[in-house]
Amino acid sequence: MANIRFLPFAHTALKNLFSRPATTKYPFEPAVYPERMRGHIEIAIADCISCGLCARACPPGALKTDRAAGTWTIDRFDCVQCGSCVIACPKKCLRMAPGYCAPGPDKRSETFTRPGFPPPGEKPAAPQPAGPAPEEPVVAQAGGKPVNDTSTCVFCTLCAKKCPQGAITVDRAAKTWKLDADSCVGCGICVSACPKKSLKLR
Amino acid sequence: MAKQSIVPFGPQHPVLPEPVHLDLVLEDEVVVGAVPSIGFVHRGLEKLVETKDFKNYVYIAERVCGICSFGHGMGYCEAIERVMNVEIPPRAKYLRTIWMEMSRVHSHLLWLGLLADALGFESLFMQSWRLREKILDVFDLMTGGRVIFSVNTPGGVLKDVDGDMLRQLLRTVDELQKELRPVADSFLREYTVGSRLHGLGVLGPEQAVELGAVGPMLRASGVRYDARQLGYAAYPELDFEPVVLTEGDSYARCELRLRELTQSFDLIRQAVGKLPEGPIAVPVKGNPDGEYFMRIEQPRGEAVYYVRANGTKFLDRFRLRTPTTSNIPPMLELLHGCQLADVALLILTIDPCISCTER
Repeated sequence: MANIRFLPFAHTALKNLFSRPATTKYPFEPAVYPERMRGHIEIAIADCISCGLCARACPPGALKTDRAAGTWTIDRFDCVQCGSCVIACPKKCLRMAPGYCAPGPDKRSETFTRPGFPPPGEKPAAPQPAGPAPEEPVVAQAGGKPVNDTSTCVFCTLCAKKCPQGAITVDRAAKTWKLDADSCVGCGICVSACPKKSLKLR
Repeated sequence: MAKQSIVPFGPQHPVLPEPVHLDLVLEDEVVVGAVPSIGFVHRGLEKLVETKDFKNYVYIAERVCGICSFGHGMGYCEAIERVMNVEIPPRAKYLRTIWMEMSRVHSHLLWLGLLADALGFESLFMQSWRLREKILDVFDLMTGGRVIFSVNTPGGVLKDVDGDMLRQLLRTVDELQKELRPVADSFLREYTVGSRLHGLGVLGPEQAVELGAVGPMLRASGVRYDARQLGYAAYPELDFEPVVLTEGDSYARCELRLRELTQSFDLIRQAVGKLPEGPIAVPVKGNPDGEYFMRIEQPRGEAVYYVRANGTKFLDRFRLRTPTTSNIPPMLELLHGCQLADVALLILTIDPCISCTER
């Protein structure tokens, strides 16, 4: 009983009485988030090429890309904010932004459509067959596999080094250029990396 | 012999948020036997390793637990790096060490709060968690997450830190050390707290080793063993001695965690002081082939990560033995002969994480 202290918390209680509260009144006072906070994913849909690498890298499978419809779909409830897709994106059009998504009573997914594609929901017959074809810049960026013109190619291996999927094999000695069509996602990074402009997406 | 009765305890219990169920065999108020059963939150996370790319599995490994998340990600990455013979840059090693020690600080502060809550000491609980919030804010600033950090990757770390963040970290550590003093005093010198903890659940050193206790449980019983001395991350370059106490009771386990907090502050300061410049990751090419058995010291004790790879991007097996798995047999030993009212407190002193254990 000797070590019973008299009002041991009096100092803390008095201090708390005259100091600012440790918490904030959140919905009334806006929360302050640090710049790096992984709150939710944002997409710059105009830069997206529907390569599908984000969907492959997503551990819970919250992302879906549809190349024909030009859409990128995220299930916000499945997303675990790991940032794996941001690292995988070859076009750097994904980013983690601060601030949490609003809560909701049901699981809804959010769909973004690339410019030049019909918005989701309405599926008109007319633009579909000619889908990406009339859009020159889109076709130039993506939507096809790289084809190498061996007459101009110098077998520098830059395309193979830049390929996010490791789908290109170049042998400098044998002067061969091979593409693994199954793993190629048609992102077009090899085309922009080629110093001799001998690669084209077809 | 008094009449025996069986009282079910958990998986939902007001004191213990962890889903463990115990069948307590009582003679009057005294526990004479306890049969544990777990399996309420099994999620099959180990099995997922067979269907996920080994680089993406880091995100799943760290989601095994909300408190030891950094350690799980790091243990898995260190095991993969050893299988693939990858030497990570020194800056990545130091950053991992800093984040690991920050995890220890927030885990121990969480445990202290839960202990105060179990004792019914609500204001002490609030004070402990208020302090914990400060370290979580620094985590948010440095990694972008409060409890799930997603900064580990095979080959290094994903995010670098700048001078402002390190200064903020050191300021927070200084503040915490100052503000921890009255809180630590209440745990160690308060008569009411002491009367619940002194002499409760004594575990001797031989018993602790025999039953496979790990971490603070083992060190509070006088056994000098800390997996940080095995030499992973930047620990071999830092100066520290494991904290060891000899009493082996609940009070010793509480005091040990408080002393480990001070030790972690010191380790963070040392690591920040020695943080080298340079790259934070090396590229990892190819797929792992081989196996490795990695041991690291989590806040709750030694955790074991076993990986077996087959040369493809999917691993054959990932096995995680969490500290709580090893601490359950000594916990059952502690329960023998205790009062029913002390059961929740005794379970709490092993710092249980049943969700971790079931994976």
